[in-house]
Amino acid sequence: MSKLFLPRRTLLKGIVSGVAASIALPVLEAMLNSHGDALAEGKPIPKRFGLWFWGNGIRRAHWTPSGTGAAWTPGEELAPLNAVKEYVSPITGLEVKTATHPHHSGFSGILTGKKYFQVGTTRDTIVSTCDGPSIDQTVAEAWKGKAPFRSLELGVCRFRGTDEGTAFQHLSHNGRNNVNPSEYVPAKVFERLFGAGPTTPQISAARKSVLDAVMEDAKALQLKVSSVDKTRIEQHLESIRSIEARLSTTPALCTTPAKPGDYPDSGKEPIAEVNKAQAELLAMALACDLTRVFSVLFSTCGAGTVFWQAGATNSMHQTCHDEPNPQPIVHRATVFTMQQLAVFLETLKATKEGTGNLLDSSAILCTTELSEGNVHSNDEYPILLVGKAGGKLRSGHHYRSTSKENASKALLTALRAVDMTMPSYGEGAGLTSEPISSLLI
Amino acid sequence: MKRSVATSLLIGTTALGAACGIGSIGNPDGTDPNDPNNNPTVLPDGGTAPPFAPATAAIKRLTREQYGRTIHELFGLGIKIPTDLEVDTKLHGFSTVGSSELTIGPRAAEQYEAAAFDLAKQVFSDPMRRAAFVGCEPKDAADPCIKTFLAAFGRRAWRRPLADAELTRWGNVVTDVTGKLSSVWVGLEHATAGFLQSPYFLFRVEVGFPDPSKPGRLKYDDYEMASRLSFFLWGATPDDALLDAAGRGELATVEGVRTQALRMVASPKARSALKAYFSEYLNLERLELITKDATLFPMMTRELGVAMREEIERAFEDIAFDRQADYREIFTTHSTWTNSGLAALYGLPDPGPGFSKITLPDSGPRAGLLGMAGILTLYAHATITSPTLRGKFVRTQLLCQDIPPPPPGVVTSIEDDGVTDKTVREKLDAHRKDPTCNSCHRFMDPLGLGMEDFDPIGRHRTMEGTKPVDASGDLDGKPFNGGKELGKALAAHPEIGHCQVKNLYRFATGHLETEGEIGQLAELSSKFEASGFKIKSLLVELVVSDGFRYAEVAK
Repeated sequence: MSKLFLPRRTLLKGIVSGVAASIALPVLEAMLNSHGDALAEGKPIPKRFGLWFWGNGIRRAHWTPSGTGAAWTPGEELAPLNAVKEYVSPITGLEVKTATHPHHSGFSGILTGKKYFQVGTTRDTIVSTCDGPSIDQTVAEAWKGKAPFRSLELGVCRFRGTDEGTAFQHLSHNGRNNVNPSEYVPAKVFERLFGAGPTTPQISAARKSVLDAVMEDAKALQLKVSSVDKTRIEQHLESIRSIEARLSTTPALCTTPAKPGDYPDSGKEPIAEVNKAQAELLAMALACDLTRVFSVLFSTCGAGTVFWQAGATNSMHQTCHDEPNPQPIVHRATVFTMQQLAVFLETLKATKEGTGNLLDSSAILCTTELSEGNVHSNDEYPILLVGKAGGKLRSGHHYRSTSKENASKALLTALRAVDMTMPSYGEGAGLTSEPISSLLI
Repeated sequence: MKRSVATSLLIGTTALGAACGIGSIGNPDGTDPNDPNNNPTVLPDGGTAPPFAPATAAIKRLTREQYGRTIHELFGLGIKIPTDLEVDTKLHGFSTVGSSELTIGPRAAEQYEAAAFDLAKQVFSDPMRRAAFVGCEPKDAADPCIKTFLAAFGRRAWRRPLADAELTRWGNVVTDVTGKLSSVWVGLEHATAGFLQSPYFLFRVEVGFPDPSKPGRLKYDDYEMASRLSFFLWGATPDDALLDAAGRGELATVEGVRTQALRMVASPKARSALKAYFSEYLNLERLELITKDATLFPMMTRELGVAMREEIERAFEDIAFDRQADYREIFTTHSTWTNSGLAALYGLPDPGPGFSKITLPDSGPRAGLLGMAGILTLYAHATITSPTLRGKFVRTQLLCQDIPPPPPGVVTSIEDDGVTDKTVREKLDAHRKDPTCNSCHRFMDPLGLGMEDFDPIGRHRTMEGTKPVDASGDLDGKPFNGGKELGKALAAHPEIGHCQVKNLYRFATGHLETEGEIGQLAELSSKFEASGFKIKSLLVELVVSDGFRYAEVAK
């Protein structure tokens, strides 16, 4: 375990709901050197990797920035990000090269650089899952053990998706049908991160004794089952190991922030409120170094969310298909979605860390499973890379491809930003060994 | 073989390869021609299926429903089921298919650990309850009655007898924790919580063993069969009688399985599990959170959504269990169940408190599943009906005919021609006129348009705004008018029973049928038909079928 884990006495002012700027004392502060640009022991401030996903695309004519390089202006649907524009690098004009089926192809393509894996073959209806880890888990695997939680997965809009595959219900994948479901309820996120009750070394040891026996069971079981099931049990073992690893470290690393309230749904889903609460909890988790990898499933692939805030009475998916041009509801819903992304990013920006803030150390890939909902297009793909990744990522820079380059290049760029050195990313038509060099420093 | 609407309607009946010659010297592949499993089965469409080949065995994670029911079986109805557990991932329509594919990620393992300790604490914090549960008052961790308890509870929790090594492993946990926390009861509490975190509890372990009489296949062993039967028919862990039957080797034969299945379908637990199946099959859980336009439909409350679900579940229970009637009656029945809210929606007299069985008038517009508000509400938009969604529901859910998705790049939004005050039918005319839209929408819209006599929350209507409703529809060239007539047509549809068999099989086995199981499904459909479409009979025939009892040799 990392030495970054902080002493219990390190204090942190609680989150005051609705006022992100009041996160006054990030925990890592205590560990910084006198210049505030590295840790006291000489190690750099850790990098963070994130994923922020929304369902059902954008409208390219209204979202895509004009101008390229440092001189760009967001389209009206991207304009909500103006407050964090210096941290945002839009990547436009790319294409997911593995496109065959609406939603399915784009989801797997933009998260893994590969075609999806099909579950079952005797129906025309495709049920799909990622054929390998999603990009967040590629990083999480490499950074395993650096923080108590390998990764955190949060959800915002309550619609849980359809039965057309894990791709339609979840975001983070460890592999085929191996998912890290998002937690949608802020109070439960809080409970998981900060809610551990009082414990003693004896209690922890007793839990460990139980978990050890469970792992013995699992290992014995692995000898009996098929290779596919062996892999499934291996994940169960890995999950238990992660609990054990936390047992052997000092718990309660941060002073507990205020517990989030409930967000009752009276038919008008409180999306903005949940989004803000989740963002604040995540900022705290990062500031406390509870995790370095995260994903936020704002709305699912093929978004079934009803954006009443935009005047919608039907799901986003249906509205994209049915609403006649110029699609005013789709427009307002897209603006609303980008506003929520802005709130999320602004919350990280407001969380100071040394001389900078959380966005300075992060690389966050923000994207969706197609470019336009009413045509299911996979070209002109909407991608944002946000953050400076500790100085490795050129932020505030619009990269525009005029030759429909492979969308996997954006993924490899995000990976390079957090120092991943694999020679290539993706597979088949999605394979690339070239990051977008103009975005890397 | 894919049975999409495109293949069955556009291309016509697909014959699957040439039928094998049935000669006296054996099949071309060397298998025994007298074994019906080795011969092609004639399918409902006249084609032939490949020879039977069982599907791969897969361990199955308990669904939430199964977890809860199992906890009640293990600890009694007084136990409080922890609610902070992962939501099921439905695949191909069912949580059971998802549970055969998914594993236990880090968050789920944490939730299971917390739930296990919560449950164990409920039992062990009460001296009376813990003594009854453990069956003795152990003096210390060396008390021999501990091993007796571990063996007895382990058998129920893991659905098989424990091996000595396992008893030793968990006995050591009791000893170790008793030492650390100075109480043998706390040691037992930890072992109990441990059993509930073990993969042997959280997964149904189904592997199979080589069966000399059926080379090339694996057979599920007695205890595996006990779990397969119980989790399908009861949605819960086997009871002692079933485990005892497994212990006596009675689940190795068709007769033994049939005997237990007949006992099980007679239990109230089977009713409750089958209701849960129909609910999942029809996505009724979504009724609770469905959003309708509050201005247009102020009566659409969460309570009404729950009542809509209840009505449909009771209607299925009545046909499957109370009357043991022909399944197809669900599409034509005039019997239904309403409470005050539903009765008001249907324009019927208030039945008073609770649900009451009522008979819809023969002359009225409403009958059967397609007249039940839950279906009409689920498959409609928030402000207007959706003939496309309703038609898609009939095609894919009731007839198992998949609709191909639009290819990437096809514009799917309807252009605004500036005409306002259009009826839904008039709006959808764009689908019919545009050949690109029509190539798929013609399989859905003509069905749903025939249900336009019901509004987005299932009220009957004769007017849409200022215009009279036109509820004329078309099912594969056969005209009908209104949802009630469509129900009649579906009850007589040749694929209606087969589609129910397919869905029940997917739910029961936890996988989408493979090519090698298509013939098996056709045989089950014939049996279903021969029984007069009795659901109870189908449940029993399904569990004695080879597809339920055998697995493919693991690769």
